[in-house]
Amino acid sequence: MAEKQTTTSAAFIATLKRDLLIAFKKKNDIVNPFMFFIIVVSLFPIGISPESDRLTEIAAGVIWISVLLASMLSMDNLYRSDYEDGSLEQLLLSPHPLFFLVLAKNISHWLVSGLPVVLVSPILAYMLALPTEAYGTLVLSLLLGTPIMSLVGSIAVALTVGLGSRGLILAVITLPMSVPVLIFGTLAVQSTLNSQSPVGYLSLMLVMLSVSVSLAPLASAAALKISVN
Amino acid sequence: MWVWFSKLGSPKWFYELSGKWLPWLIAAMVIFMTIGLVWGLVFLPPDYQQGFTSRILIVHVAVAGTSLAFFPLMLVAGIITLVWRMKLADMVAKHAAILGAWFSFITLATGSLWGSVMWGTWWEWTDSRLVSMLFQLFLLLGVISLRSALEDSETAAKACALLSIVGCINVVIIKYSVEWWNTLHQVASPVSLDPSSPNGPQFWIATLIMIVAVYLFLSVSLILSTRNEILERERRSQWVQDLVLKN
Repeated sequence: MAEKQTTTSAAFIATLKRDLLIAFKKKNDIVNPFMFFIIVVSLFPIGISPESDRLTEIAAGVIWISVLLASMLSMDNLYRSDYEDGSLEQLLLSPHPLFFLVLAKNISHWLVSGLPVVLVSPILAYMLALPTEAYGTLVLSLLLGTPIMSLVGSIAVALTVGLGSRGLILAVITLPMSVPVLIFGTLAVQSTLNSQSPVGYLSLMLVMLSVSVSLAPLASAAALKISVN
Repeated sequence: MWVWFSKLGSPKWFYELSGKWLPWLIAAMVIFMTIGLVWGLVFLPPDYQQGFTSRILIVHVAVAGTSLAFFPLMLVAGIITLVWRMKLADMVAKHAAILGAWFSFITLATGSLWGSVMWGTWWEWTDSRLVSMLFQLFLLLGVISLRSALEDSETAAKACALLSIVGCINVVIIKYSVEWWNTLHQVASPVSLDPSSPNGPQFWIATLIMIVAVYLFLSVSLILSTRNEILERERRSQWVQDLVLKN
């Protein structure tokens, strides 16, 4: 990381590559939240009802809430290992705007934790007896919603990065904030099921995504500066 | 203006000034609270639809209205903490979060009491105000738990300031998305909380007095707890030790 005259875009790509590489070296951190997601989804039919009619009603909500819980788990190691080995301080000292470096870290985190969940969601939707016509909406809403959760959750992770044992405080801070995403994500799927157009909800999620892409990394960067003195 | 502003940041100055204000604020609070409570809970005629239950609304509306002020208050305090590093703003923000959580809880409790009579249920997910107040309570509890988790008080001050700013923006988004969510499921709440339409003017005057009383109560409790916080944090400074020796 010691090259002298790097451009910001080069630094952005370098951070992205580095984080993806680290993620693939430590497969447990990716695989465990993913497995958690699949297991939580499979517990719902056992706990509530195996009848496909009832499962159809709750399918979208079950998948969305499981995604939220799984993202809490994967979020935990967004900055922690960097904080522990000191590379986070290097990141803060870099001459490039922290905004883009934080954005790169968030994108790489989403690629390894959010995207797999989105890709596997049609299979789980099938298992929860969601009608086929809603698959597209579900995948699209997850595609728009999971990056929002990564970006907003990153603020809370950055605020708590210095704490030794934080596990639950992250969930207490972040879960209430994910209410709007949950509402619009499930409403989009429900409206498809009622043969209405989900475009309105999906565009609202797109708005939330563009707002969080432009503002949340700023807050995360400020939070990192607060946490790392 | 700036002299006044930087003076306000000094805990000692605030302690002395608030000491002068407090008796007046407490007196005003007692007067308004007595008038509002006695009028609202004893003399107010029963509503033609709701009966005596409408009297709960006197307290409920006042507390609910006041509890909406906490996140904006914490937003302002948070910006002051981050920009000017004013210690006093953080002390106010710390106790605003705790008081805000209590106010939100009392709002939910009095709302449930009223709802248990009027709607026949203690909790109703289709009422958007109830749900967004619940999530405001959760967000405030998040701020409180973040502060208690961070040991270094300066880090805690800045971290909570940032979280309050993010939380304030979030509370607004949550409020509107919850409303959206509900209007699609149910057209309107069974009874409108708007006090002016089905009720006479004495009802909303009593409510207004109660709102003033609750705001005064908020100011008094916030000042009292901030004064305690000042004494605790500044306990090593000369003027606090002089103060303790004098009494």
